Amino acid sequence: MEQQIQELRERANDAIKNSASTLKELDEVRVKFLGKKGELTALLRGMNQLTADERPKVGKLVNEARAEIEQLIAEKNSELKAKELETKLASEKIDVTLPGRKVHAGHLHPLTLTLNRVKEIFISMGYTVEEGPEVETDYYNFEALNLPKDHPARDMQDSFYITEDILLRTQTSPVQARTMQSHEPNTPIRMIAPGRVYRRDDYDASHSPMFTQVEGLVIDKGISFADLKGTLEDFSKKIFGEKTKIRLRPSFFPFTEPSTEIDVSCVMCHGEGCKVCQGSGWLEILGAGMVHPNVLKMSGYNPEEVSGFAFGMGIERIAMLTYGLDDMRLLYDNDVRFLNQF
Amino acid sequence: MQVSTKWLKDYIDIDLTADELAEKFTMAGIPVENVIHAGEGLEKVITGRIEDLKAHPDSDHLQICQMDIGADNLLQIVTGAPNVEEGQIVPVAMIGAHLPNGQKISKGKMRGVASNGMLCSAGELKLDLEGLPIEQQTGIYILPEDTPIGIPVAEVLGLDDDILEFELTANRGDCFSVVGLVRELSVLTGKRPKYPEIVVDENDKRTAEDLVKIGIDAKDLCSRFSARVLTNVKLKQSPEWMIKRLEGAGMRAINNVVDVTNFVMLEYGQPLHAYDFDKVVGHELTARRAEEGEPLHTLDDSNRLAKGGELVIADAEKAAGLAGIMGGFETEITEDTTTVILEAACFNPASIRRTGRAVGLHSEASGRFERGTNEKGTITALNRVAQLLQDMDACTVCHGVVDVYPEPKDDVKIKFTTAQINERLGTKYTDEEIVKVLEALGFEVEKASVIDDIGDTIEDITDNVFGRLSGLAKSITKSVRGISKTSDVNDAVKDIGNSIGDMVKDTNINLPVESYEVTVPEWRNDVKLPEDLSEEVARIYGFDKIPSTMPKGNQQGRQTDTQNFIDKIKKILSGLGMCEELSFAFTSEAMFDKMRMPADSELRRSVPIMNPLTDVSPLLRTTLLASIFENAVRNYSRKNEDVRLFEVAPVFFPKALPITELPVEKQKLAGLLMGRREPKGWSQDSAQIDFYDAKGIVEELLSGLSISGYNVERGEHFSLHPGKTAIFTKGRDILVTVGEVHPAVAEALGIKKKIYVFEADIATLQKFAAKKFTLETLPKYPSISRDLAILVNHDTAAADVEKVIAKNGGTFFKGVTLFDVYTGERISADKKSLAFAIEFRSKERTLKDEEADEAFNNILAAVEKEFGATLRS
Repeated sequence: MEQQIQELRERANDAIKNSASTLKELDEVRVKFLGKKGELTALLRGMNQLTADERPKVGKLVNEARAEIEQLIAEKNSELKAKELETKLASEKIDVTLPGRKVHAGHLHPLTLTLNRVKEIFISMGYTVEEGPEVETDYYNFEALNLPKDHPARDMQDSFYITEDILLRTQTSPVQARTMQSHEPNTPIRMIAPGRVYRRDDYDASHSPMFTQVEGLVIDKGISFADLKGTLEDFSKKIFGEKTKIRLRPSFFPFTEPSTEIDVSCVMCHGEGCKVCQGSGWLEILGAGMVHPNVLKMSGYNPEEVSGFAFGMGIERIAMLTYGLDDMRLLYDNDVRFLNQF
Repeated sequence: MQVSTKWLKDYIDIDLTADELAEKFTMAGIPVENVIHAGEGLEKVITGRIEDLKAHPDSDHLQICQMDIGADNLLQIVTGAPNVEEGQIVPVAMIGAHLPNGQKISKGKMRGVASNGMLCSAGELKLDLEGLPIEQQTGIYILPEDTPIGIPVAEVLGLDDDILEFELTANRGDCFSVVGLVRELSVLTGKRPKYPEIVVDENDKRTAEDLVKIGIDAKDLCSRFSARVLTNVKLKQSPEWMIKRLEGAGMRAINNVVDVTNFVMLEYGQPLHAYDFDKVVGHELTARRAEEGEPLHTLDDSNRLAKGGELVIADAEKAAGLAGIMGGFETEITEDTTTVILEAACFNPASIRRTGRAVGLHSEASGRFERGTNEKGTITALNRVAQLLQDMDACTVCHGVVDVYPEPKDDVKIKFTTAQINERLGTKYTDEEIVKVLEALGFEVEKASVIDDIGDTIEDITDNVFGRLSGLAKSITKSVRGISKTSDVNDAVKDIGNSIGDMVKDTNINLPVESYEVTVPEWRNDVKLPEDLSEEVARIYGFDKIPSTMPKGNQQGRQTDTQNFIDKIKKILSGLGMCEELSFAFTSEAMFDKMRMPADSELRRSVPIMNPLTDVSPLLRTTLLASIFENAVRNYSRKNEDVRLFEVAPVFFPKALPITELPVEKQKLAGLLMGRREPKGWSQDSAQIDFYDAKGIVEELLSGLSISGYNVERGEHFSLHPGKTAIFTKGRDILVTVGEVHPAVAEALGIKKKIYVFEADIATLQKFAAKKFTLETLPKYPSISRDLAILVNHDTAAADVEKVIAKNGGTFFKGVTLFDVYTGERISADKKSLAFAIEFRSKERTLKDEEADEAFNNILAAVEKEFGATLRS
């Protein structure tokens, strides 16, 4: 009997190790040895022929054999399972270099993206965002800005006229006067006015009959030219990078005194001189100045009590510098291959 | 305005290069737009004489020249030019020269013969071709016979002078002259200017006043008219030095009289005009307004008719010129002229500008008048002309000047304080620094009399003293009231003493700060206010010296609700795969026609532009669809067939036509979709977008904007397919119109694809957008879903069925989703099958099946009744 058990153990061992190569075969082995009709069960049944002395001893051997076989089957089972999974995974291999499934991504226009940055910077400095009509009166567009009829500075801005006295605004500056007039006289103002403006320029790489301007106005007691310089220096660094320098050139605008044009160090070459800055190292991006007393007076503010500064910039120019565009028409052609890049 | 650096250096002793000068001027507010480095490229071009000329043995057009270039040996050069001859002196480009036209000269052979340079044409040297003999315009440039040999050709041609091109601002008329620029330069460099000394020898005994009569009728347009009479005038060529100065300033020499008037205009900024005395009828000149239809025969030999009101200078019979713009034809100086009336006048800038624009004429003179000339400078200019012509021995000068100056301009005086200037600039300039700059610029500065200000000051002092005395009285009363025992008296006396001491200490009565009064120099028409003075100080010391500070005080930055709302729309739509476009506001009747806009449509009433850029877009748009269609067309024509665009922008509606007041501007939203539903890809749906894609975008947009409870119904729009147009409504308002573009419109646009568009009014959307977000809490109990598949008539609207389902769903009804629509073979042709998933849920407990069944049966009964629906088996 003992010998039989020993022999069974060896056979089972051999069957598990060598003949069971799949989970199914392993199960057959299990049934063959451990199943209800299996060999070990059969051996157990034969135990009643044994003496009472032998029984415990043989019983122990049978149990040991069962435990051993069960252990072996379990081990083999996990081995086979791992193998099977491996085969399955191998068969599931795909070409991971195929492109991912595309989704339509929408895009904001680069001018909107640029304008949003400009707005964020000024809102964080405490500016409100004001608006005015695109079709304006001559009064708001010119006269309230100290630009009477026949002023030679009007030549700088060829306008689209609707009537003698109504035109498409040539600048967002009229919003200055409108905002002042809507305020209690002499109360502080800190505003920007972004918007479309129109000039009768031919449509080419650097001109467009419609473009986007942001006008800024700060009025309070004791506002100085130094405040204007500090503010626009801060803005330039925020929009073009910390290392940006600015340069102020005296200029003339009828609505400011003193007036200045502001250059930033070239965003491409950082002042070394390149094609974009035409070798000068500087890019003109802003016009600004201290609000002319006549402008304050015409809108009900008292220049003896308050002072202010104003500035204006073209968003197209900033967008073209930011994104490295060399033709303004890209911005208004609305070619989806262009728009999809932003 | 352009001027050569040499001319500037005639009047000021400075050692600055053209580039340094440009930088200095620009940073002081006198912008130099461009520096022309004359002679650039001519460094290795010298003069040489053709000593020997032989035909090339292997060519019928080449010639071999032996050139004397002032060196020990002759230089052999092969040329192809036909106009060369022995003995000629010509420009020779040496090996290594890099000519102004870009050509580089190197050693070479021409058909086997060595050539060590090149003989140059005028074109190769970038010289002005006008005035050259024909053969020299194409052939080699021939220099005068007496030209020295072996010297730089730039020197011979006077091209050793750099030119500054100014882009002067509208306010600085005074810098429209060499003297004005030198004046600035003197302030900027601290060097003294050396202006010409003007001496006139009135060597004709006759008196000008006896010979001519000058008058001003239009005093508002002509404030001064001064004249001199020059006799024995000899017309000839101007001296070389003057020709060079004029050419450096971009003007061509004509004859001495014209040249001198131009020269003095450039020098002093005062335009002048010379009349032939003998042709001026009645020997009288009057500045008056032209009559309507009055003939104007100008120098350029063109005949115009006056509109009326233009300022003309007229003789006894007719207008003899458009004042300040162009002289008259008949009174022009000619070779026969012997006596000249020389005019130096001051005209109203606005009137000159208006007339110049009206007749389309712009000249050096009118440019100066438009900016304003120095009214006090007319006589100086007349004298300078007389002097220069006398120096040339070209005239005699009559005694005296005829000067009509009805209302001499008062000096402009401005009061200011140092504090006022520093406050505006944010600087700390001292009194001395400010006074120094202003005086250097020609302002006369005086300390303002204190008496002028004392009135105000006395009032201030009185207020101050009374205020403080009453404060003192109060504190004494308080101290005295505190006395309760003898020992307190000493304390009280001490307190009172302190109070008096404090008062005296605090009483810094503000005596008037030192204030100044300046007299503005006569040439500075632009300076009127203390603010203008602050600019003078700032620009001369340099804007770079001004500190950078930030405005004091804090304010809350923000956008308006509408701006935030528009930003939100853009964010939602870009999140839904749409690209934002930005388009011009212009459109045309032709586009309206393409859009099938009815002739009587309100949208045809648009705002016309008086002077459109092109006839293609003469109107302001009344609908954004016009713009978005244009962009669709542009994309389609570039083979971009998958397009999803949107834009938020204003449209314009006239209040009345013709326009009398500002039009109404309304912000609108438009969107357009065409092409594939999904991007092209190896495993992607290739189906095209349809109506329901567009509608889905609109629904998502409305949901994102918290707009709910709207109706969707069949709509109408002239540009849209009558069967595929829906309107989203709320009450009487249309939130959005969405639909397929009418095939006729698509055809007119040239797009062979289905196009879907939507359009909305921003204000209407904003009106219905929930201001507050309401969160729907997540359900605690499970819901029960029942599917309802029914057959209804083909034209039954699904939305109507949904409404009936919702209405009859009972208290536990939560929602309905249409998940299948079927038409086809398996059901009869006039029917369609709709399948809805209906959800029931209770907030308080888990629902029982029977409860859901009951509600479902009610719904079924209702749709059977309302629509004759039958359950689909």
